[in-house]
Amino acid sequence: MSVIYIALPVAIALALAAVISFIWTVSRGQYDDLETPAFRILEDDEKRPPPKKETSD
Amino acid sequence: MLDQTDESQRLPQQEPCSCTHCGLPVPTHLQTESESWFCCAGCEVAYTILQDLDSCILEELNDQEPAGRSDLSYEEMDHPQFRELYAREPEPGLYQIRFHLEGMHCASCLFVIEKLPGFMPGVISARVNLSTASVDLIWDSTVVTLSEIARTLDRLGYRPHPPQNNDAQRIFQLENRKHLIRLGIAGACAGNVMLIAFALYAGMFSGMSAEHLNLFRWTSAALAMVSILWPAQVFFKGAFSAIRNRVPQIDLPVALGITIGGLAGVINSIRGTGEIYFDSLTVLIFLLLVGRYIQFRQQHRALSHLSLLKSITPRSARLICHGEVLTVPIEVLKLGDQVEVRAGDVIPADGTVFAGDSTVDESILTGESRPRVIQAGDTLTAGTINLTAPLKIDIQSVGEKTRIGRLMNLVEQGVSSKLPIIELANRIAGMFVVTVIFLAVICFGIWWSSGVKIAVSNSISLLIVTCPCALGLATPLALAVAQGKAAKRAILINSGDVMERLAKPGFLWLDKTGTLTYGKMQVSDWSGDHSFLPQINALQKQVVHPIATAFTTYIDRQPEINGLNNHSLQDINYTPGLGIQGKVDGQQISIGSEEYIAEQGTPVSFEFQKKMAEYRQRGLTAVLVIVEGHVASVWGIGDELRADAASTIQELKNSGWSIGILSGDHPEIVSQIAECIGVGPEFVHAAARPEEKLRLIQESTRDGTTVMVGDGVNDSAALAAASVGIAVHGGAEASLQAAAVYLNRPGLSPLKELIDGARMTNHVIYRNLLISLVYNLLAAGLALGGMINPLIAALLMPISSLTVLILSFMNRAFQEPSS
Repeated sequence: MSVIYIALPVAIALALAAVISFIWTVSRGQYDDLETPAFRILEDDEKRPPPKKETSD
Repeated sequence: MLDQTDESQRLPQQEPCSCTHCGLPVPTHLQTESESWFCCAGCEVAYTILQDLDSCILEELNDQEPAGRSDLSYEEMDHPQFRELYAREPEPGLYQIRFHLEGMHCASCLFVIEKLPGFMPGVISARVNLSTASVDLIWDSTVVTLSEIARTLDRLGYRPHPPQNNDAQRIFQLENRKHLIRLGIAGACAGNVMLIAFALYAGMFSGMSAEHLNLFRWTSAALAMVSILWPAQVFFKGAFSAIRNRVPQIDLPVALGITIGGLAGVINSIRGTGEIYFDSLTVLIFLLLVGRYIQFRQQHRALSHLSLLKSITPRSARLICHGEVLTVPIEVLKLGDQVEVRAGDVIPADGTVFAGDSTVDESILTGESRPRVIQAGDTLTAGTINLTAPLKIDIQSVGEKTRIGRLMNLVEQGVSSKLPIIELANRIAGMFVVTVIFLAVICFGIWWSSGVKIAVSNSISLLIVTCPCALGLATPLALAVAQGKAAKRAILINSGDVMERLAKPGFLWLDKTGTLTYGKMQVSDWSGDHSFLPQINALQKQVVHPIATAFTTYIDRQPEINGLNNHSLQDINYTPGLGIQGKVDGQQISIGSEEYIAEQGTPVSFEFQKKMAEYRQRGLTAVLVIVEGHVASVWGIGDELRADAASTIQELKNSGWSIGILSGDHPEIVSQIAECIGVGPEFVHAAARPEEKLRLIQESTRDGTTVMVGDGVNDSAALAAASVGIAVHGGAEASLQAAAVYLNRPGLSPLKELIDGARMTNHVIYRNLLISLVYNLLAAGLALGGMINPLIAALLMPISSLTVLILSFMNRAFQEPSS
């Protein structure tokens, strides 16, 4: 059962990573507006210029 | 090579053979000579639709006449002072501003507005926030002016408003983030400690080696310490302030439980025997923080109130400067300036009229529905509306020194100085703490004979299992559920304590204009000759006046006179406040009050005299129509009582509320209305100025729960000072900000629903408390009997929490009436 000495710290480290990334996302303001981003994904990117065929020169 | 135009440099690099829509490579057989390529049919369709969307917006914009939906020019936004006040300059030449947009509420709005940089050169970016209905704009001041952007937004149908109170919004945002971080940490700790606790419980039955046992105990101790020292700090802070202010608060028992449990757990970890309570503690902290967060979100609306003064006064004024009229932001105005106020404009500052004759709608201050006649030399108050003709004004006071500014200060003071009620949960918390400590002492005494160790251990168990989860979690949850359901029924409640305040009947004051009545002039009754209706209509369309509007809306609704709109009008003569006359289709028509007609020397027959007396008795304004020297008809015009007013008032009376009327209107009109709804004359206050309304409400709150129901700016100070201020549908912005509840449905019936709902929600809270008390008694009994072991504690706590949570969700208040 000595594997628990490795497994437990690993589990805690994973939890710690999750908490740290959560704090990071909160302080970046990702939870400030929970409504708009859901719609923004539906929007098209900026219009691109039509691709031009490679010319020989 | 790819041709490097300016355009393509700004855009992400694109593979030469990729799809225009999705950027994936295009199969060779689909590569065409045309401008755009697609990897599949789906992309082609999607691209076409989106292209069409863009052109639709442009078309929509071009279709509209340049004036836009409102004829505002937004010129004041180009004034340097406006930019200084509201915009930031992140880079030289680039400015950033946040606008609140009227009428933005769904995904399509987001599409249109975020396309702004696409078709408006100079707009660098537009980011929409739907939950606050605002947009963050960055623009290049050398290419485009802010007023152009504002006009474009206006033409799209979204009226932009500059931000009013950024600070409150920012503070809320920071506070919200802090709450979330606390929740995240507490949740992670609770989850991991629970996992370890499972292993420990399993070990209790099957046995576990001492070294593993110690590892698990110390790990959960470490995690619990994080939870106690970081997220649970709020409870300790609350408890300290409770001790300092000697006010019992829910934080006190919670902090006590956490401290004792944490200490006991750490001591037992060091000793290597005995119970550790970390699983219960961390889950408790997490759940209580969830409750705290719900409560915080509830109170948000109350805190973020806008600057009231700015919502009433206009943003811009027409300043007369060396004979020229300039549109300037209102902040520029100062004492001694001269401004022009056109018909339909809001007066920007207090001052004296030096040129012009007009009528002014002062209902914002007086609540009176009839406009006042204004001539040179009269004084005007900021926030009132000029109705008929341009006026020129010498400014005497601006901003907060104006009468409306002072009034709004009273409102803000009223909101902040309102005595908070000691919430039920906190009142109980005080007793709870005393009882629990008393029980713990008894427990210690009982087990003293069996040894100190057992006595201490049992008293600690008691302190922990009785930690008040229902007080901290179930009460805010029950309130939040009720608030959510009420919002679905168009009753917006901005803080939970409204429910508690409304639980017991007290005194309920109602405003008249706009609350008990519809708030606008209507034709109630008339008698006389039918055939002149089209001519009357044509003449009345020449003026902006509530009574004229009542005429035209009434006549426009009559089916028989449709299509007769081309009348010749001559010699129109309008006397503000009295009447109008002119030649319509060659016939001389005068419409006006009795004095106006008497001045012209037209005799009024006895029959019509009787009618006029009757109308006046009903609280209506009598208006006569004279055609070619003969009285053609007599009209009774007034502001009618809402259809559901009398029945709602009766129901409220039946459930024990005392009803009164508080109005700024004429005593005769008010007493008329009071009689109709059955309010005794001793509870009717007419011709009350806003300051008097405030005083009356303040006196009334001293005697008990006082509810004020109103809609106007003149009610807002009273709304803010009352125990519960309720603003009705269609109310002024200031009244919405001052009130704790907003009934977003016409009529008074939501009032009854609100009061019933509040009563039911309070029942739910009481039931929750009772149940958690029973659980706590059970747990205390077991602890006194020395039968609590960690397993029972771990079972009892979540079950008690779960029961109260379910009961909170089952709250039936504000449910749709079953048909």
